[in-house]
Amino acid sequence: MDFNFDLIIESFPLLLMGAGVTIKITTLSVLLGVIIGLVVGILRICTLKPLRILAMVYIDFLRGTPLLVQIFLVYFALPVITGQRVDPYFAAIISCGVNSGAYVAEIIRSGIQSIDKGQMEAGRSLGMTWLQTMRYVVVPQAVKRVIPQIGNEFIALLKDSSLVSVIGFEELTRRGQLIIARTYGSLEIWLSVAVIYLVMTLTISRLVAFLEWKFNTSRRSAA
Amino acid sequence: MIDIKGLRKSYGSNEVLRGIDLHVDEKEVVVIIGPSGSGKSTLLRCINYLEQPTEGIISVDGTVLDGETNINKVRAEVGMVFQHFNLFPHMTVQQNIMLAPMKVRHVSADEAAIQATSLLEMVGLKDKAMSYPEQLSGGQQQRVAIARALAMRPKVMLFDEPTSALDPEMVGEVLDVMKRLAHEGMTMVVVTHEMGFAREVGDRLLFVDQGVILEQGKPKDVFEHPTAPRTKEFLSKVL
Ligand SMILES: Nc1ncnc2c1ncn2[C@@H]1O[C@H](COP(=O)(O)OP(=O)(O)OP(=O)(O)O)[C@@H](O)[C@H]1O
Ligand SMILES: [Mg+2]
Repeated sequence: MDFNFDLIIESFPLLLMGAGVTIKITTLSVLLGVIIGLVVGILRICTLKPLRILAMVYIDFLRGTPLLVQIFLVYFALPVITGQRVDPYFAAIISCGVNSGAYVAEIIRSGIQSIDKGQMEAGRSLGMTWLQTMRYVVVPQAVKRVIPQIGNEFIALLKDSSLVSVIGFEELTRRGQLIIARTYGSLEIWLSVAVIYLVMTLTISRLVAFLEWKFNTSRRSAA
Repeated sequence: MIDIKGLRKSYGSNEVLRGIDLHVDEKEVVVIIGPSGSGKSTLLRCINYLEQPTEGIISVDGTVLDGETNINKVRAEVGMVFQHFNLFPHMTVQQNIMLAPMKVRHVSADEAAIQATSLLEMVGLKDKAMSYPEQLSGGQQQRVAIARALAMRPKVMLFDEPTSALDPEMVGEVLDVMKRLAHEGMTMVVVTHEMGFAREVGDRLLFVDQGVILEQGKPKDVFEHPTAPRTKEFLSKVL
């Protein structure tokens, strides 16, 4: 077996640039996902049935079809309707973000439902509307409670974002493929790619744990 | 102030309130007692529409509750204090009190803060404005909950077993606040097991059993000369 360390060292800067792109699209996608997830998660349990059903359809469709197919839908099928080419960068963030939104919506919903019913009743009994009570009382508590799960979603999406390599978007996995096409160093490069993913996911999970800890202590020290 | 006619409430086939007629005058303090599961909480919760009546008409200060169009307006006039306080744990005591006046009455932050301070002074917790609920004792939390409800300047206050979740040594401080409110002329409906409070503060005592008002009258009269056998039986257990 031939293991070429020099190849790893040579390609490392290129792979790191790919990792940077991966982090960037994951972050933007999760941001989009959290915004969508907040709205859809609240609609999912609101008092208006049509809106609840709409939210359910959204969640079911995006969780019940493969992300890869969703990426193809945005990148290849959407242009058929609009007649315009879709930028791979745009396609990557939209498909990952919209997909993530469905998972975040379920996380938010379970977070909201874990908040004591007395909170909604207290808010309503003071004359606040359902939406006001959600916004100022229930959702802030729910979001705090689901931070670890949002962190897990971030990690899952960071790994799944490798799928956008198929539309030629140059994130970490695609970078690896391109280097291998040039150098034939499959073993060295895929190992490096795997290790870089691992370092990123481990870092994020530590970061989330820290954030959770900080959130839990800051409230006490502020008082 | 409160007018209830023919109120019925069922959960599925379980009829919890079976025809309640009740009129509460302005400044009147009505105390409700009765066995567990008799429908006391349900009655109270129908008054501010936390539970939707199956049948009957409820009006508060002349406004007939219709559930949709005027419910937030009516609720702003009806304060409610819960057994388990239900303070907002992510907010300071002061923020708890300021939130609803700012969002519902559109009071300015400065004004709401001034009001919060004077309410906290009234319930004896001026130094706790910046604390979080979890840092307070049960009695203190319940007093904050009363202040929070009063911040909306309600015309009526509903209390659902406000001292039942408290350690015995904290019951007094909460009852004292309620007594003061009553003396200041607040219209109050109070579900409680505190018979001393009922006798001392109540203008009228209702005994609710199996979804109906079985007996009512001046607290002293009901305590000393209960007429219905069920009332006698209940009072012999709690007095
Ligand atoms: N949301 C609900 N769904 C179904 N049944 C309910 C609901 N809320 C209350 N009930 C039932 O209605 C009955 C009356 O309940 P309620 O809470 O009004 O009694 P209560 O007099 O307040 O009793 P307690 O002294 O224990 O508080 C009980 O049998 C209870 O099981
Ligand atoms: Mg009750």
